[in-house]
Amino acid sequence: MPDNIYLPQLARVAYIKEEVVGERSIKTFRVEPVDGKLFDHECGQCAMLSIFGRGESMISIASSPLIREYKQFSIMRVGRVSSAFHELEVGDVIGIRGPYGNSFPVDDWRGKNLYFIGGGCGLAPIWPVITTAVAQRANFKNITVFYGGRTSRDIMYRTELEKLRESVDVHLSIDKAEEGWNGYCGFVPAAVMDKDPIPDNAIAITCGPPIMIKFVIQNLNNLGFKDEQIYTTIENKMKCGIGKCGRCNVGKDYVCVKGPVYSWAVLKNLPAEY
Amino acid sequence: MEKILDKKQIDGWVAALTANSPDEWEVHTPALEEGIWTYQPANGTVRLDHPNTKQSPKEFAFPQREIFFSFEQIKGEAPRLTQIMPKEQRHAVFGVRPCDGRGVPRMDKVFNDHVEDKYYTSRRKNIAYVGLACNKPPSPNCFCLSVGGSPVSTDGLDVQMTDLGDRYFVKAITETGKAMMAAGGKIFADPSAADQKQVKQTHADAVAYPQRKINDPDGAPAKLKASFNSPLWEEMARACIGCGICTFLCPTCHCFDINDEVHNKAPLSGQRVRTWDNCQFPDFTMHSSGHNPRENTGARLRQRVNHKFQYFHENFGTHQCTGCGRCVSECPVGIDIVTVVNKVTEHAG
Amino acid sequence: MINIQDIRDTARDMLAKGEVRAVIGYRRGTRGMLAEPAFITDPEQASELVWDPTCFHNLSLYLVEDRKFLTHIRKTANAPIAVVAKGCDARSIVVLLQEHYFKREDVYIIGVSCEGTGVVDERKLAPLLNGVQATDAAFDGDDFVFTTAAGEKRLPAREVMADRCLECRIPYPKEHNVVHGEDKTGRQLAEPFAALTRFEAQSAGERWDAWSRHFDRCMRCFACRSVCPMCYCEECVVDSITFPVTPATSAEEKANRIRWIERSATRSENITYLMTRAMHLAGRCTDCGECERACPVNVPIRMLNNKMEREAREKYGYEPGASIGGPSLVASFLDSDPGDFIR
Repeated sequence: MPDNIYLPQLARVAYIKEEVVGERSIKTFRVEPVDGKLFDHECGQCAMLSIFGRGESMISIASSPLIREYKQFSIMRVGRVSSAFHELEVGDVIGIRGPYGNSFPVDDWRGKNLYFIGGGCGLAPIWPVITTAVAQRANFKNITVFYGGRTSRDIMYRTELEKLRESVDVHLSIDKAEEGWNGYCGFVPAAVMDKDPIPDNAIAITCGPPIMIKFVIQNLNNLGFKDEQIYTTIENKMKCGIGKCGRCNVGKDYVCVKGPVYSWAVLKNLPAEY
Repeated sequence: MEKILDKKQIDGWVAALTANSPDEWEVHTPALEEGIWTYQPANGTVRLDHPNTKQSPKEFAFPQREIFFSFEQIKGEAPRLTQIMPKEQRHAVFGVRPCDGRGVPRMDKVFNDHVEDKYYTSRRKNIAYVGLACNKPPSPNCFCLSVGGSPVSTDGLDVQMTDLGDRYFVKAITETGKAMMAAGGKIFADPSAADQKQVKQTHADAVAYPQRKINDPDGAPAKLKASFNSPLWEEMARACIGCGICTFLCPTCHCFDINDEVHNKAPLSGQRVRTWDNCQFPDFTMHSSGHNPRENTGARLRQRVNHKFQYFHENFGTHQCTGCGRCVSECPVGIDIVTVVNKVTEHAG
Repeated sequence: MINIQDIRDTARDMLAKGEVRAVIGYRRGTRGMLAEPAFITDPEQASELVWDPTCFHNLSLYLVEDRKFLTHIRKTANAPIAVVAKGCDARSIVVLLQEHYFKREDVYIIGVSCEGTGVVDERKLAPLLNGVQATDAAFDGDDFVFTTAAGEKRLPAREVMADRCLECRIPYPKEHNVVHGEDKTGRQLAEPFAALTRFEAQSAGERWDAWSRHFDRCMRCFACRSVCPMCYCEECVVDSITFPVTPATSAEEKANRIRWIERSATRSENITYLMTRAMHLAGRCTDCGECERACPVNVPIRMLNNKMEREAREKYGYEPGASIGGPSLVASFLDSDPGDFIR
């Protein structure tokens, strides 16, 4: 951690991709340090990104910790600061500070079957776990990715997901049938049930809209997954990112410190205030 | 170090601290302005006959507005950030009541936990709190005894003064306190046996004075946890208007916001600034998506009460509330944390 | 002299008959003598209602809250809501009706007259009680009677009444469904705008110094705005905090939200906040005085509103909340409106 926890490091935007265009637009950014190195991070951690004059946003780091050259973020355009991000061009310099929060205990999952279940922009926070697991493929048994968008237009990391099929099972879905769509049609929790994942020696990692997470967990429980086998990452409005501004707490935990990664066994005992 | 200070000599002590070269103190004492007691720079006669100040002394280490850094950016170039740390200046705050004194280590915990907040700590290390014991409760809504405090607590203070009528019994609590008293030199006299007896009696009387009471402070964390979904929260928050009085006046409330204040658009220049924020404002936890985990006054009242009597206790082993009673006295619509905690815990489980 | 039992009976009967769905009134709080707002839905609870010199709250605020809540849950009420209203409070309701915030049939006004007195100003009372706390306050003709541990303390009401009550000429809710107490319209214990006139006797330099100290002390807790029934805007122009975001709010709207002032409680920002609020209340403020009472650092906010109300009276002969059928000052234009200040 740097000496002054609130002072960002400068980072240059090296790459911008329009993942989802139009409504619910998402852009992927890769940033490189202006001077020196960027901090190291672990899967699940986040960073505060600054656009000076507009503000800061806490965004999940979407790239694997194994990648040293840049850090990747996928940001949906929802409000004041995210709109400013969508106006950035390659070469622009922003601020970055981190890493914040806890991480997925990936090392504990060696030798297990991994099920990743993402919806909408929720693929980004679990993407580092997916890519790290794939990079260390031999450490894990079966890896399966379930991912759904509202429409086919809302599916992010399209190219990367297709490439993933080489080493993992990928099941894409959209909410309602579309011409030319051959995959599953229906909500993500149902898409998961459709493939009947087995809880034996398995870990399920899910992230997406709150309503999706709720039903995914319900379905997993019904399939026999224990609460300790289910992991998710939650979000709350954040400002400081270091457990001091008092805003993001869920019960006694500041999500920016004790979260955002939680096993359902722990999360279900916290007040439903997120 | 225990001394006696004649009340007529207190101005002399303050003057000695102010002139204490090379480490001059900026001394702040309670003063009455527009009918309210606030901390003001010491100016002539020092008064310590205040009940309690309207605002707590948290503003010294945690001001309403703190500039983090300035930023400048010419289009096409990288922005330039200039860190702005608080000025190195020692501050002595006089007349700090024990409840406010206990608030200090609680704020210290928050701003040092997990990572250090340099803006807070750089101010904090330069502040000395000179406390004044409460011979009787300054407010009808005091309840320090219920939350592990006491009218004669020295927790968080560097010096403790006790009013003995025409003089103060002055006791150093920390090394800094000792040094401050040493700066006063011969202004202080040694206490006699009678003085010691009187202090003991004054303190005993102070603690025996009746106060408002939290009925089950030790059971509160578990009972509040069990009452998360109680309909009492909405009922007790029905009158709440969602202002910032309870939190801004509280010695241990520390919520803040961070915003960029732009002074010039092109070339861009401005400052990133921290300001006090408040969990009772409706938009405090509002996500950009429009989802608000705390949508009504009941949820927000529950957050404040739980933070004070459950969450802080679960994290640090002690209640965050120090029983100063300001939120009770100043709420424009009568929301009373003592009544709220008692009622909710009474109905728990 | 008002008999509290009459008010309780009215509330109980209306609730028992289902003619109103709730009664907003006053009941004893948990802090000594002070009353607090009560929200009664059960006829049995009507016995909790009180009427004493500490009933200073403008309960029409909760009509606004109620309306916002109904809108939020997308329901219409099946019966009107009753509210206990003093003269000033009833005038607030009239302003809300003029602005079509709700309909007349949505509210049942249980009017109470302040008769010859009004509400107590705690700041005036404190020095007269010599540090002793009062556990009860009661009306008694032209006096207030306070009960303390050291015995009863009787004080002429004039000595401890709020300034706004002293200056009030209509201590009676003209708009009402039922009213308790005598109509003492025309009674006046001080000149209108007396406090303002006293302040304005100072030089411009003195006034600026005084106000600078007030602006510096303001901590932007927004109590003044939160307690005011007229400040019902979901999106407050001078406050970047309140912005009604729903899932339907577009990113553009959020991105383009103008921040007129910063959150810093510095002099410039506080001036802009307080002055803008006063301008937005021009012709709408009924001088309930809650803003000033609620302010924890004694900023004389009422004076700012009074200044605008005096302008309204002198220039347009306008008094806010006089009658439902009357025009809203800032929302109407007459050819006869003075225009000499337009240059």
